[in-house]
Amino acid sequence: MMQLLKDPILLAVATATSLPFLAMVVILIFTRHNVRLSCSISVGSISISLLSALYLLITLRHATAPIEYQTAWLLSQNVFVSFGYLLDPLSMLMLTIVATIAFLVQVYSLGYMAGDPGITRYYAFQSLFAWAMMTMVIAPGMMQLYIFWELVGLASYLLIGYYYEKTSAQQAGKKAFVMTRLGDIGFFLGLVVLLLGYGNLNILDMNQAGAAHKIPQYLLTISAMLIFCGVIGKSAQFPLMTWLPDAMEGPTPVSALLHSATMVAAGVYMFSRIFPFFAASPTAMAMALAIGTITTLLASTMAMATYDLKQVWAYSTISQLGFMVMGLAAGGYFAGVFHLTTHAGFKALLFLCSGVFIHEYHTNDMRVIGQKGGRKLYIPMICMTVGALALAGIFPFAGFFSKEAILGVLAGQSNKIWLIGGLLGAFLTAYYSFRLIFFVACPKEMAAGHGHEEADDHGHGHGGHDSHEGHHSYIFWCMAIPLIILAGVTLVLGFSQSSLEHFLLPQSAAAHGAANEGGHGGGHLALLITAVSCAIGGILLAWWEFGRKGAKQEGFLRRFVRVEELFARRWYMDDILRFLLDSVVYCGFTNIFTRNDRRVIDGGLDGFCRFTVGSGRVASFLQSGMLQYNLMVMIAVVGLIILVFVSR
Amino acid sequence: MNSLSSYLFVAAALFSLGLLGVLQRRNLIGMLISIELMLNGANINFMAFNRFLAPEPAVGQIVTLFVMGIAAAEAAIGLSIILALFRQLRSINIERAQELKG
Repeated sequence: MMQLLKDPILLAVATATSLPFLAMVVILIFTRHNVRLSCSISVGSISISLLSALYLLITLRHATAPIEYQTAWLLSQNVFVSFGYLLDPLSMLMLTIVATIAFLVQVYSLGYMAGDPGITRYYAFQSLFAWAMMTMVIAPGMMQLYIFWELVGLASYLLIGYYYEKTSAQQAGKKAFVMTRLGDIGFFLGLVVLLLGYGNLNILDMNQAGAAHKIPQYLLTISAMLIFCGVIGKSAQFPLMTWLPDAMEGPTPVSALLHSATMVAAGVYMFSRIFPFFAASPTAMAMALAIGTITTLLASTMAMATYDLKQVWAYSTISQLGFMVMGLAAGGYFAGVFHLTTHAGFKALLFLCSGVFIHEYHTNDMRVIGQKGGRKLYIPMICMTVGALALAGIFPFAGFFSKEAILGVLAGQSNKIWLIGGLLGAFLTAYYSFRLIFFVACPKEMAAGHGHEEADDHGHGHGGHDSHEGHHSYIFWCMAIPLIILAGVTLVLGFSQSSLEHFLLPQSAAAHGAANEGGHGGGHLALLITAVSCAIGGILLAWWEFGRKGAKQEGFLRRFVRVEELFARRWYMDDILRFLLDSVVYCGFTNIFTRNDRRVIDGGLDGFCRFTVGSGRVASFLQSGMLQYNLMVMIAVVGLIILVFVSR
Repeated sequence: MNSLSSYLFVAAALFSLGLLGVLQRRNLIGMLISIELMLNGANINFMAFNRFLAPEPAVGQIVTLFVMGIAAAEAAIGLSIILALFRQLRSINIERAQELKG
C-alpha cells in the first residue's frame, strides 16, 4: 500500500484499471435504482481512467525500457505465471485509445440511452467492458491477457444481448460468445503448449526468446498458429467472421465500442503484443497473411449488398481488421498498430453517427433514412462523411496514412498477390462506404415507399425521445459532442504518424527511418498514386451509381443476381457453419455424448443399482423369519467350532 | 462304569432333550421349558464335577445357584415377551411370528 502511494506511475495505472471495476460493483450492488447517480459514477470513473492513461502516456513518452510491475500468481518448479502491469509504448497507446473511446461512448450513451429502463445495467456492463479491456491491454503475461480476454468476451455478450427480451438479440449474443469461444479454445491450447514446452508466458520474455530463436521452431510454429486461432475468433477473421454483423443487435454505442477499441481490437492487439514471437515463425505469418487477405475481400463484398446502415460498418470493420492482420503478418508492426489506432477513431465515429440517425428515424435501412431526410442532420452527416473519407483512405484523413503504411509493407512482399488483394480491398471499401453516404445524402424521390415494412422491426424501443424540446436538445448534444471530437481526432491523427512511429519503435526508427525514406521513395510514390486512385475510383463509381442526379441507385451488382445473392447471404458462410454445426456437432459429438450419457453413465449406474437390489433379494432368502432355523444354524456353527477345537 | 460318567450321561441326555425341544417345538412356552431343561442339564454337570473332581467343594454349587437365579429371571422375561407377543398375534405359535421374513 505504501509503495502504491509512493510511486505515482503505479498509482496511475492501478487507478486507470481498477476504477471501472469498482464502478461496476457499486452500480450493480448499491445504486441500481438511481439512474442519475449510476451514470455519473460510471462516466466519472472512466474519465478518471482516461486522465490516468493520458498522464502515463505523457510521463513515460521518453521512457527507454518497458516498466513492469508483477507478482507471482501461480508458481511451480518450471512454470511461472504472473499478474501485474506492463507499461511499454504499445500498451500505453492502447490504454489511452480504450479509455478515450470508452469515455466518449459513455458520454454519447447519456443521450442515446436516455429513458431506457435498463440504463443502470447498461452502464455497469460498460464499466465491466472498459475494465476488462484495459486490464487486458496492460497484462505482462499471456495468462492474465487470456483471462481478461475472456472477460471482454463476457462483457460483449452481455451488451450485445442487452435487449434480452428480443430473441434475435439473445441469439446474436450467444453466437458472438460461442464463435469467439471456438477460437479461444485454440488460443488456450496454444498457451498450454507454450507453457509446457517453454515454461514461461511473460510477454517480454516470449518476444525476446522468439526474436533470438531460443524456442524450438516446431514448438513456436504450433503455438503461434494455435494462438492465432484466438485472433481469428476475436477479431472476426475468416472463417469465424459472421458473429460480428449479428452483434449489431446491441445498442449502437455498444457497437461503436465493440468495433473500434475493445472487443475486436483485442485480437489484433494481441497479435501485435507478441509480434516478435509471431514473426519468428514464417509459417504462422503466412497463414495470418492469407487469412487476413481472404477476410478483407470477403467482408468488403458482403458490405456491397446490404442496406442496413450498421451492417455496412460491421462488414467494413471486419475488412479493416483483415487489413490490419495483413499488415502485421507482412511484417509491418508499426503499420498494423497505426491502422488499429486510426481505425479505432474513425470507426467509433461512423458508428456513433449511424446511432444518431437510428435514434432519430428508428430504422437501420439507409434508403429509408435518406428518404426521411437524413441529410438535414448536418453534424452527423458531415461527421459521417469525414469518417467514410477516412475509411476510404483519402488525404488528409487518418485512414489515408495508416492504409498507405500497410500497403507500403505489402508492396515489400515478394509475392504481389497480397498487394493486389490490399488494393482491391481499398477500392471496394471506398465503393461501399460512399454507396452508403450517397444513399443517405442523395435520396431518390419517394418511389413506392419500399423498405417501410422493414422499418418497424429495427426500432429499439427506447422510451424517452419524444419528450419536450429542451430535453431533446440535451440528448442531441450529448451525442453530437463526441462526434465532433472524434471527427477532429480523425482529421489530426494522421499527421502524428512519424511521432507515433518514434514512440512505438524508439530503437529501430532512428536506424531505419533514414534508410526507408531514401530507399524506395520512387516506388512508394507510385504506390501512393495507385492506392489513392483506387479509393477515388471507388468513390466515383459509387457517385455514378448512387450519387449523381437521376442515378438509378442500383449497384452494378444488380446485373449479377446470383452474385448479389451470394454477397447478401454472406457467401453462405452462415449456412455452411449451420450445416457444420448440425452435421458435426449435433449429429457427431452430441450424438456420441448423448449415447455415452445414456448407455455408459446411466447404464452403469442403473446396472450397479440393479446388482445391489438383486443381491439383496438373493440374500433375503436366507432370512426365513423362522426363529428355530436361525437357532439351528447357530448350534451347528457352535458344534463345528467345538469340533475344530477338540480335534486339534 | 463309575458314578461320575453316569451323572454325565444323565446330564447329556437332559441337555439333548432340551435342545431337541427348543429346535422342534413350535410352542413358545414349550421352547421356554426346553431351555430350562438344558440349563438343568448343565447344572447337573457342574454339581457332578464339583462332587468328584474339584478340591474346593463350594465352587460348583455357587455356579449352580447363579444359574438357577438366571433361569428364574429368564423365565420372567421370557414369559412377559410371550405375553406381549400373544397380545399382538393372538397366538403363541412361533410360526406366526415371521414378520422379519426376507
